Amino acid sequence: MPGWLFYSLLVVMLWGIVGLLQKLGTNRVSANSLLIWLMAGYILLLPWLLLTTRVSVLTLRDAIIGTLAGITNGLGAWYLFASLENGAKASVAIPLTALNPLLTILLAMIFLSERLTALQWVGIIIAIIAGAMISYETSETSLSQPR
Amino acid sequence: MARNKQSKVQSLTSKVQCPRVLTLDLDENAEMPKWLAYSLLCLFCWGIFGFLAKLGADRISPGHMQILFTVGMIPLVLAAFFRSQRKVDTDRLGVIYGVLNGVFAGLGGLAYFAAMEAGKASIVGPVTSLFPLLTVVLAVSLLKERMNRVQMFGIGLALVSICILSI
Repeated sequence: MPGWLFYSLLVVMLWGIVGLLQKLGTNRVSANSLLIWLMAGYILLLPWLLLTTRVSVLTLRDAIIGTLAGITNGLGAWYLFASLENGAKASVAIPLTALNPLLTILLAMIFLSERLTALQWVGIIIAIIAGAMISYETSETSLSQPR
Repeated sequence: MARNKQSKVQSLTSKVQCPRVLTLDLDENAEMPKWLAYSLLCLFCWGIFGFLAKLGADRISPGHMQILFTVGMIPLVLAAFFRSQRKVDTDRLGVIYGVLNGVFAGLGGLAYFAAMEAGKASIVGPVTSLFPLLTVVLAVSLLKERMNRVQMFGIGLALVSICILSI
């Protein structure tokens, strides 16, 4: 199995569990509180991460890119929340936001000159459609995007 | 006139209850509904996130990326804190779920950055976005939630796409 596929399936597994924990958590605490406790979980991992990496090797450019990744991810979650609060149906808004890899693909092609084979095109188009369909929740139980 | 405008601003801010920096001044009369604009902004942010993840992972280790990612998440957490009037629910089981949520999300983040390092963003992005697949399956088997037909068909398609991409 290629490395990228192994790690990607690991992501599906770990984030898939996150989605379940999120459903369980929001039954007991508010979405805002859950986010704060989620941060506590991120912080729990920090000592281990700081011990196994050397932060001093980071350049300013690296630091900006990494931090921006956190910001855009958080901001995206915030906008989804705002959309639902402004009357969006979860069954429409969440599948719509699941189309976000389209933009990633576009940016990767323009700025990183990534090219795909015809078969890979078929695969990712099916994957994106599948992602939108899976997040079609008819009940308003969760924001199925925990990232 | 000026007072009128001020009271409108006040009513808007009290309704939104979040730091002004993050609030969009969307025109009430605009043709696009507010929720749609917010959804598109979400799509936009997450699309850029995938690109930045690739850009970063090509240069630094997944551990580095996860540390920086955590730092970048801080403004969002602060916004959530102030939105909830600085009150944090402390239901014991809720806290456990929340903290575990963060641990799994963080480990998932490490795997995500490793995947981005190893592969193309244009393939890893769509494949990792399939994670609700497992959430739906777990919710059906553990929480007795029901899966609708669209989701069932989506899961089938997801498996097909993974098979195609692994060739």
